[in-house]
Amino acid sequence: MLSCRELVNHADRLLEDDLSFSARIAIKFHLLLCRHCRRYVKQLRRLVAAIPFMHNKATDEEVDKIMDCIHSHRNL
Amino acid sequence: METDKLAQLRSGDPILFAELVRDHHRALIALTVPIVGISEAEEVVQNAWLKAYQAIGSFAGKSAIRTWLGSIAINEAKMQRRQRKRELLFSDHGDQNQNTEDCLTQRFTERGHWQHPPAHWHMDSPESLLTGEQLAECLERLLAAMPDNQRCILEMRDASGLSFEEICNALTVSASNARVLLHRARTQLFKLVDHYEETGEC
Repeated sequence: MLSCRELVNHADRLLEDDLSFSARIAIKFHLLLCRHCRRYVKQLRRLVAAIPFMHNKATDEEVDKIMDCIHSHRNL
Repeated sequence: METDKLAQLRSGDPILFAELVRDHHRALIALTVPIVGISEAEEVVQNAWLKAYQAIGSFAGKSAIRTWLGSIAINEAKMQRRQRKRELLFSDHGDQNQNTEDCLTQRFTERGHWQHPPAHWHMDSPESLLTGEQLAECLERLLAAMPDNQRCILEMRDASGLSFEEICNALTVSASNARVLLHRARTQLFKLVDHYEETGEC
């Protein structure tokens, strides 16, 4: 049976739905029996969903600079 | 994005577009730094915003807006690099090793079972998971210390949603190497959040 270590290595492809049929079955079977790996996959999925929000918002100054640039090009 | 807002954005509403700049500008800078360097990233992203504003009417909303903007920024960065005949800063040297060594290795027994399983994370929404004040500071430090090539793939794939095909094309890296780098980057973030959720510190 797949080990937890191996499951963690395959988890990225599981999230992308990019596994062969046999690998997917092996992973699903492991997840059925292992609550730690179920938790790992669930939390990895949430982490990946959170990554697009990890950057701070731009400051007013940064936004103004871009918008000024856009306005000046519109007026050319 | 809601249909009304999308229609307004596509009509060129400057207030909504400014909000777009506010939400995505920093991510686009992070995305282009590995391709053109920090000194040119700002100019590249400024040009990308201009192109995005000119093309916003054609944004169909099929992909996430970040992914659409990210593709424009990457193309702009590639063009600038070609024009200035610069070498690509990205390098996957040192990561040719395809084994699965990552920062979670020590959390398993020799037989591959969890020795230190993941903690239970208290999460409300994707927006809030990484933005708590203390964690955000630690995350910033982690990202700054992360090998450039791992950070680069993380920005492209996870922060901007670009496909592996686009990534491989922009960086001339193989898909399998890109996946290894992404795995290493994600496990570093996982370890950080897991420790924070378990101890309240990082």
